[in-house]
Amino acid sequence: MTKKSLATAALTLLALVGMSMSAMAETVVKIGNVEPLSGPSASVGQQGKNAREMAVEEINAAGGIKSLGGAKLELIYADSKSDPNVGVTETERLINTDKVNIVTGCWNSGVTYPATAVAERYGVPFVVPVSVRDTITERGFKYVFRIAAKDSWWTRDQFTFLKDMKDEFGTELKTVAFVYENGDWGTGFAAQWKKLAEEAGYEIVLDEPYPSTATDLTPVVNKIRRARPDVLLLTSNAADAVLITNTLSDYKVTPKVVLGSGGGHADPTFISGTSDNAKFMFDIVEWETDVNKPGAKETNDKYKAKYGSNLTGEAVDAYVAMYVIADALERSASLEPAKIRDALAATDLKTGPAAIVAYDSIKFDATGQNENAALAIVQINDLGQGLERITVWPKASRRAGYTPVFPMPQK
Amino acid sequence: MDLIFLLQDVINGILMGSIYGLVALGLTLVFGVLKVINFAHGSFLMVGMYVAYWVVAFTGLHPYLALVLVTPIMYIFGYLMQQWLIRPIFVAERDVREPITVIIVTTGVWYVLDNLALLLFGPDYRALSPNPLKGEMIELGEILISTPKLFGFTITVLTAAGLYWFLLKTRMGRAIRATSLDRDAASLMGISQWKVFNVAFGIGTAIAGIAAVVLVPVYNVYPTVGVPFDVKSFVIVVLGGLGSIPGALLGGVIIGLIESIGPNFMTSTWTEAIVYGLFLLVLFFKPSGLFGQKYDW
Repeated sequence: MTKKSLATAALTLLALVGMSMSAMAETVVKIGNVEPLSGPSASVGQQGKNAREMAVEEINAAGGIKSLGGAKLELIYADSKSDPNVGVTETERLINTDKVNIVTGCWNSGVTYPATAVAERYGVPFVVPVSVRDTITERGFKYVFRIAAKDSWWTRDQFTFLKDMKDEFGTELKTVAFVYENGDWGTGFAAQWKKLAEEAGYEIVLDEPYPSTATDLTPVVNKIRRARPDVLLLTSNAADAVLITNTLSDYKVTPKVVLGSGGGHADPTFISGTSDNAKFMFDIVEWETDVNKPGAKETNDKYKAKYGSNLTGEAVDAYVAMYVIADALERSASLEPAKIRDALAATDLKTGPAAIVAYDSIKFDATGQNENAALAIVQINDLGQGLERITVWPKASRRAGYTPVFPMPQK
Repeated sequence: MDLIFLLQDVINGILMGSIYGLVALGLTLVFGVLKVINFAHGSFLMVGMYVAYWVVAFTGLHPYLALVLVTPIMYIFGYLMQQWLIRPIFVAERDVREPITVIIVTTGVWYVLDNLALLLFGPDYRALSPNPLKGEMIELGEILISTPKLFGFTITVLTAAGLYWFLLKTRMGRAIRATSLDRDAASLMGISQWKVFNVAFGIGTAIAGIAAVVLVPVYNVYPTVGVPFDVKSFVIVVLGGLGSIPGALLGGVIIGLIESIGPNFMTSTWTEAIVYGLFLLVLFFKPSGLFGQKYDW
């Protein structure tokens, strides 16, 4: 065999392998998901997994991606353990070994930030359902798309809420305390709180980062107790949200407003872990089960029957992410990463199951940020059917007939 | 800083620290006898917490009465764990001076148990409900003392005293001490080394069970709940001296005090750094720890 024919043979072989691989890939679209499935955020990771699975089951049952010959979506999971290093290696593994077409994740901003950089480098589209750190979509990346609101929008709305409540109830709020987990997410929020508080003329009486893995938060609660703030702003992961709320109640610390930032406070196990101790506290969310959108109630009922808990804003983002991906694939009619990317960039999703979001359409701006993502504030209260989360802000979306309990009654 | 605040923090530090010490007690006992660092100790604590949680949930017993069931269950669990898992490795490594493999096996046990719990019980945070101790505080003017933590402190002191008495006064206790001093000499005197190992491991695990009962009323139960306590226990055991009972308790209280008083001068993030800094300093300057001797007891 001459050298030339050898080369031709090799090329033919390569082409054959390539063809058979692409032929196989036609039938299934692999979606890699990096989620915290163990460690301190395992419970939110599990909800994200449930929501993805429910959406993908629905999409596949409805005939998959029609423009790709009815291709089915396949979910592949990797456990980030909430650790950025693990998140990066797992993203690399998904892209290189599992050859996924699209990556989603990672909930923890600290993990998403480096993991999206990996995907950008390989040119693989990365859909971030929820990870709120601003800078994730502010690095000029082409392949990263975020569905949730950025954290600057969250903090901005938290302060607007405080101002609106002051005006509505005529209660003075002068001092604020910031207590937050010391990771990327918490410190990012705190930096913005500081700026917003100074602009709005609040006096900051406490600025306290704490480790999420703390076994005892009594010292932090004692600091809050001594600082006597009117407003307590919290950013907590799951276990510490429960611990801090119970300890606040033990020590009878009752600021006028306790306002969470989603995350641990939005976790369905938060209310069972704290019960009455969480009563009257506020939390900022993207979505609540009482949202007035067609299909929202049905989707939530289905999810609850299947997995035993209500959908959270974060689970909704994960659920919606699958529909955003399916919609983009339908339009790209190709598994070429660049084409999927272009289709994602052109998303304007208004109908279908994804329309359960609290706003009108999902649409990405030039940075990959969903420009329509909006936020609401809920109060945890018991209206005779056990503790529930009741939408109170913006006033236009407040649950009919509900007056928020404000300021928080003293214990 | 007001004196009253300092007092409040000192009390909380001692109470919480004693509970850390109780967790470390089981670890230090196992190390003292088997000369093995049991990396699965935090997982044993986690198993104990689930056992305590289910015992209380199903029987409706008062959380502390669960001790009656949890302690023997955990003793048997530890005993069998040593008999079936650790011992075969010891036997295989009989001629090796430092049985490193055993340490690796305990790490494996840690991962298996944590992930098994995740698989079986899911990642949810469970809290006792109803919980007769929830939010119970003793109020002394400005000073608030958590009742369940005060109980925890008492149980710690009783457990440590009981363990001390057992080791000093009973035949099995003396056999354990003899084995920890010199394995071979003890064997030559007719002490069954394996029996002693099983019992010591069982007691160490039972103590983790007692700590679990103490923690369940104030803490949530979830699959990786053992990890932060595990890490703390290692620091405590090194600080107090490997194998030393008073060392474990005092080490626990020192960590508790740093965590409780420290935040008055810095943010609580930094207290962690101080704890680990102390850990390094002890390793550098007094590797045997506060109470560590070449031979304990």
